[in-house]
Amino acid sequence: MPRFLQQVQAVIDRLTMALNVLGTLLILALMVLINSDVIGRGVFLSPVSGVPELVSMSIVAIVFLQVGQAFRMGRFTRTDALINVLEKRAPRIRAGLELVYSAAGFFIIGALLNASYPLFIKAWDRNTFVGTVGDFIAPIWPVKLVILIGCAALILQLAMSAIRSAIEMVSGRKVVLPDSAGGHDAV
Amino acid sequence: RAETVDVTIAAGHPPVFRWVKHTSQTFIPAVNKALEGSGITVNWSEQYGGSLAKVGGVLEAVEEGLAEVGLVSSLFEAAKLSPQNVTYFTPFVSSNATAISELMDKLHEENAELRRSWEDNNLEYLGAAIGIDDYLLMTTFPVNSLDDLKGKKIGAPGPAVNWLKGTGAIGVSGNLTTYYNEIKTGVYDGVIVFATAAVPGKLYEVAPYVTKVGFGAQYAGGIAANKEWFDAQPEALQNALRRGGVAQREAYHKDLDQAISASLEAMRANGATITEVSPEFRMKWAAGMENVAKAWAAQLDGEGKPGSSVLSAYMDAMRQDGATPVRDWDKE
Amino acid sequence: MTPFEIGLAALAVMVVLVYVGMYVPLALMVVSYCAVWVMKGSPILAGKLLALAASETISSYFFGVVPLFVLMGYIVSVTGMGRDAFDVANQIFRRFRGGLGIGTVGANAIFAAITGISIASAAVFTRIAVPEMVRHGYTKRFSVGVVAGSSVLGMLIPPSLLLILYGLLTEQSVGDLFIAGVIPGLLLALIFGIGVFAMARFWPGFIGENLSDSDEPLLDSGELFRKGFPIAALIFLVLGGIYAGWFTPIEAGAVGCLGAILIGLLRRSLTWKDFWSVLTDTGLVTASVCFLIIAAQMYSRMLALSGAPAEFGTFVATADIGFWGVVLAYVALVIVMGTILDSSSIMLILVPLMLPVIQPMNIDLIWFGIVTVLAVEIGLLTPPFGISVFVIKSALSDDTISLGDIFAGAAPFALMMLLVLSLVLLFPPLATLPLGY
Ligand code: NA
Ligand code: NA
Repeated sequence: MPRFLQQVQAVIDRLTMALNVLGTLLILALMVLINSDVIGRGVFLSPVSGVPELVSMSIVAIVFLQVGQAFRMGRFTRTDALINVLEKRAPRIRAGLELVYSAAGFFIIGALLNASYPLFIKAWDRNTFVGTVGDFIAPIWPVKLVILIGCAALILQLAMSAIRSAIEMVSGRKVVLPDSAGGHDAV
Repeated sequence: RAETVDVTIAAGHPPVFRWVKHTSQTFIPAVNKALEGSGITVNWSEQYGGSLAKVGGVLEAVEEGLAEVGLVSSLFEAAKLSPQNVTYFTPFVSSNATAISELMDKLHEENAELRRSWEDNNLEYLGAAIGIDDYLLMTTFPVNSLDDLKGKKIGAPGPAVNWLKGTGAIGVSGNLTTYYNEIKTGVYDGVIVFATAAVPGKLYEVAPYVTKVGFGAQYAGGIAANKEWFDAQPEALQNALRRGGVAQREAYHKDLDQAISASLEAMRANGATITEVSPEFRMKWAAGMENVAKAWAAQLDGEGKPGSSVLSAYMDAMRQDGATPVRDWDKE
Repeated sequence: MTPFEIGLAALAVMVVLVYVGMYVPLALMVVSYCAVWVMKGSPILAGKLLALAASETISSYFFGVVPLFVLMGYIVSVTGMGRDAFDVANQIFRRFRGGLGIGTVGANAIFAAITGISIASAAVFTRIAVPEMVRHGYTKRFSVGVVAGSSVLGMLIPPSLLLILYGLLTEQSVGDLFIAGVIPGLLLALIFGIGVFAMARFWPGFIGENLSDSDEPLLDSGELFRKGFPIAALIFLVLGGIYAGWFTPIEAGAVGCLGAILIGLLRRSLTWKDFWSVLTDTGLVTASVCFLIIAAQMYSRMLALSGAPAEFGTFVATADIGFWGVVLAYVALVIVMGTILDSSSIMLILVPLMLPVIQPMNIDLIWFGIVTVLAVEIGLLTPPFGISVFVIKSALSDDTISLGDIFAGAAPFALMMLLVLSLVLLFPPLATLPLGY
């Protein structure tokens, strides 16, 4: 890959990784929140208000914050039987297929982003909230915004994946990426 | 000239829920009947039970045009249809679901501000008010005085958590589908629920003490159409849809009325103890509550929505109708 | 083309795209988008369907705790508690061939009493059980297969998200449904256990030729206690807390997660580096699985709009084929739909359609619910769209195991589910007996 593209890839990787860290912290926050509710209700007779609403919104945020990195780390589900055969016999055709898949993903997530944007604007303009007046309310625009950010990050990774596949198709050589942290190095 | 219109109609609840059942069995036939001779036929696509939109997502699905018509639960659209939730902020007013629904639909006809909150979401309100029967307190222990509630955990639907404030009970925002298990294991000591939902869930098995506190019946939503689509339809279809709304409200509430007495009877037959609290008990409960209605109205007024005006219009109309609210939430 | 034909075409295209290796969530989204565009004649409406499903599908307390269940399992794994538990299980089942496989089924049955959702079981046991079984000479294919198979126990043994959904769709008591699920759930676990034992004996090529279960040195009772106590304490905390009324089965994910962290810290076996690493991994697994579920929901909403599933359902419902005809046709339809749709969508579409047909037949709706959930859950294991298998693939740290391997490994378990389903069909008291009627 040309040096310039490597730099672009590095910047995008850093972005998806940062979102990934945010999402990870949100999972921890969820754990603390629910435990506070359980302990508050059982021991101090004062539950935390709005936990169901906060949990429902957080899970959407968690997923969209991490979806770009999940794609980058190869975690999107696929059947690789055909791809593996092509890899050995006709690497250029494999690269061409990968190009088609990434480009299709690029356009469909683009459509999702495009259609999600008005939903964010609506939530922002009307200050839509969840919960009940007098008990707990929270605005929903932050989670709508996270959906946009997550889609944008995924689109960037899909675009880079399409570019890499195009280079592989033309050159006939495999583009090797530096592996970023956060993969299957854990257990 | 003959014309066929494709209409997708969506509901978040499945057809076993009375209001959805009547959408299929009353609303649609009534619209079809009203269209006889007009040359218009509707080709209905019925999408219930979340197959197209979840309970809290029907409004947006209709607003965006994915469905032309929807059964919108205002209870689950607290932000977008906030004035419609007036009944949930004014408990202890009336336990007559039919009266409340007729009145809410009448208010919608007369009060442009109330209609506006639908229109702001690109919706045309078609009536078919869904009344919910009188909310009851169902507990694992007998409730003879307010003191019995001290420190008890009571599950309640979102806005009803406010009803428990000031009683010494701990209101926990809960979900109808899990009440049974949570009472059984002891996470809750009781729930606030209506009779026609308590029976299918067999809640009387785990919470056999049924106390009619007098929280009252509620308005929970109605049928609405995508406004842009509605405005573009021929007048005959518009009128037919409205007539369908009226037909559904009447049939639904007739059905509900019978179900309420049958439900209470079923609970009693299965060993539940049903008691009604004394006026003093009710007064004491209501007096101990904060006036959430005021806070709610003020919040809406601040957002440029009709809070105070809808509050007093609703309370006035109920008083005129002969209801005797335990507290005059609008006048304090 | 009518919407119905578009729906059928969309089905075919999706299957092809999955087999030629397109990313499954992206394929589902592309097909849904194009089909709605053609049906409604508007790309804008098609986009809106995607956007609404994206923000709605997983926005619930139930889905919210999925990452916490996964994290709990990963902490159990990374702190060595999982490995210790398997050493103990090994001692207990050492007389049986395939003991570790049987142990995995048993552990899943216990975990099922905590979680209400099968994907949590699948993600957790991929990490805890697969490496241990592979270490003891089981084939990779069998190791992932037994995890996929036994993950379905999570939805049959209460609490169960699917039984709650069924209760909501049919106005049946969720309490009764939970009680009715117990015997079929335990029976399924038993049959899985017998199946593993039988395969170890008669089909060692599938499960592993040189199982080393019994090669491990015998543990003395002190060692057994030291290894078994931490995991027993965690199970006791979570199950005890649920049945003592301290917290709900949903909240159990968060409590169990905190419990696992505390136990790990007390044993000094949880380092900050490991913790952060499993936490990150939890996020990636959650994201890929939930994104897939969102895409599946888009696809199922598109199909609902096309009317295709409803038309098949109506066909079955209106065919004049008598009691057994209707029930068997329904079960077959559920299983076929299970190959390409997710569990809750199948129930949302089919159950309300069948309800008016079966009610006049005096069919016991509780029994029918258990039948439905069993049939629906077979779909978790069948290609091309099998969510338990997909979860295992994304939770797996071994790239040499392909999706095809997992589907193949899970196939015997899908067959055993079919056997249990037949038994429940033939002997309704298996479900209804504990209800006392
Ligand atoms: Na379970
Ligand atoms: Na499947």
